[in-house]
Amino acid sequence: MQAFKQNSIGSFGLFTLLFALAFTSCKKEELYVYEVNDVKVNQEKGDKVNVKSQTEFIAIAYSDIFGTGIDRNSLDLLLAPYLAFGDQKLIEQMIIKSFLNVPGADVPTKTVMDADVTKFITDAYIKFLARKPDEFELWHFQKVLKDDPTITPDMFYFAMLTSDEYRYY
Amino acid sequence: MKRRDFILKSAMAAGAVTLPYILPTGRLFAATGSRIANHVVFCMFAGGVRNLESMHKADGNLMPNMLVGNESISSDIAPGMTSLPAPTSARLQTLGTLFKEFRYKQGPTGHFGGHNTVLTGRYDETVSLSQRPKYPTIFELYRKHSSPEQAALNSWWISNSLGPYPSLNFSDDPEYGALYGANYAQPASIITGMPQNPIQLDDVKLEKVAAMRQFMDNSFTTNVTAQDAGITNTLANRKRIEEFLRFEYDNAVSGQYNNFWGLSQNSINNDQVTVLFAEKVIKEFQPELLVVNMQDVDTCHQNFTGYANNIRKADFAVAKLWEAIQSTPGMANDTILIVAPEHGRNLQPNTIIDRYGRYALDHTSDDTSREIFCLIAGPPDKVKQNQLITQVVGESTDIVPTIANILGFNNEIPSGRLTGRHLGEAFY
Repeated sequence: MQAFKQNSIGSFGLFTLLFALAFTSCKKEELYVYEVNDVKVNQEKGDKVNVKSQTEFIAIAYSDIFGTGIDRNSLDLLLAPYLAFGDQKLIEQMIIKSFLNVPGADVPTKTVMDADVTKFITDAYIKFLARKPDEFELWHFQKVLKDDPTITPDMFYFAMLTSDEYRYY
Repeated sequence: MKRRDFILKSAMAAGAVTLPYILPTGRLFAATGSRIANHVVFCMFAGGVRNLESMHKADGNLMPNMLVGNESISSDIAPGMTSLPAPTSARLQTLGTLFKEFRYKQGPTGHFGGHNTVLTGRYDETVSLSQRPKYPTIFELYRKHSSPEQAALNSWWISNSLGPYPSLNFSDDPEYGALYGANYAQPASIITGMPQNPIQLDDVKLEKVAAMRQFMDNSFTTNVTAQDAGITNTLANRKRIEEFLRFEYDNAVSGQYNNFWGLSQNSINNDQVTVLFAEKVIKEFQPELLVVNMQDVDTCHQNFTGYANNIRKADFAVAKLWEAIQSTPGMANDTILIVAPEHGRNLQPNTIIDRYGRYALDHTSDDTSREIFCLIAGPPDKVKQNQLITQVVGESTDIVPTIANILGFNNEIPSGRLTGRHLGEAFY
């Protein structure tokens, strides 16, 4: 009897333990999914309050046009005339004109531009000005590019990369 | 006379008086003040030149192109002198008025402070290397107060070094600033690297690019300040300047900046390269106002003999500058050349001795470091020739009012802006 009692208590205890474990240790883990909305890295016109330094201008323009960083020697070579002439816009224009003529510059062909002018304009605004064109800008440049077949992609890029807005961040 | 004829003739006479007219120089209106000459070249014989070595010839005539006299160079430093071509034309002193005892009266005798004073016409005890001038520069005064306002292409500031010197082309004064600044250029950097192989756009295409850029700029106006963009040239002038800069770079690549004025290649210093570039600007643009500086004499902090030699080189460069002016149509006989250091150097030397046994000199605002000279040379019907003023007359702040008088806009500068005076002693 004593033995039975001891066995009964032992079996009950073991059962209880297993039962407890089944409902605690094996509890199904809840899956939390933290959803984050897509973040647009746009910078609207009004947010651009800082003028780029000369070094920043060259490095960012190079990166935007070639998709890679400029090496230190090339940067120093371009900085010298930039610092050495008072009409900064003139030197910026000379730098951009040279960049756009270097093999490897990521400039769409005229055919690609003409095939989808809206996409070309929108892509350029996003790529260089970190924002979409507003409706008026889009309408204006759609009209300009469609009406004038002599305007090439590099001319549009040249204008945008030497605009006031591109000089700020 | 019939009444009708009288009215007609009276109207024509009134029109002749009041209507604008095209001057031979292409200006639409005459400036309200009369001009002494239509061009000024101001050469800052800077870097700290002591009157003892320049005007008083303590070591001989180190400036034989500017000063009369054939005093030989002191024998101990003579071996350290570079061979230079002998003067070929009249000494500049005889072509104008020399103020032998000019003064930089106030402010620390630092290079930037001295430059700041002669370019603004104001002493500034608190000048900072990291800030633009507080007061408008001569370039801004000239461009804003001339009638009509002058294009940037007409005013140039050519400096032999970078550092804070680019900032001297316009001030932080809210009534002036970048809109009226000069075309700043530092030749040594320009001739060592320019962006190459640009896309080729003809004038029509450039106009179209400009129109697209203008549209973009019109929709981004909130945060743009004129100071951020530096000075601005017109589209047409930008094209001319770009062609000029590329041309000069190509000249440098072909060796022209290593071989000029009959100088041996290893004797050419940065002052001479800077003045050569100024010559090119004169030839290409015939600016009404050009300021060029030299600073290589500042080697005097550790090398007195090198300093004496660089005074000679600077003197030679001034002579070449004068030759360039006189050989340029439009500027010959219609240009006033002003030459002056920004400050002098101390009477007492420091402890550094050069290889010829001479002690070096600093400039720390003692009385001797305030003693400078000023030479004003020009056409004989405008500038008093061969006039030597040996008394203490004139100071650094007088140069801006003098340039304003020469170019005829002195009356347009608001009263109180300038503290100096026109150096009328030099002119008829």
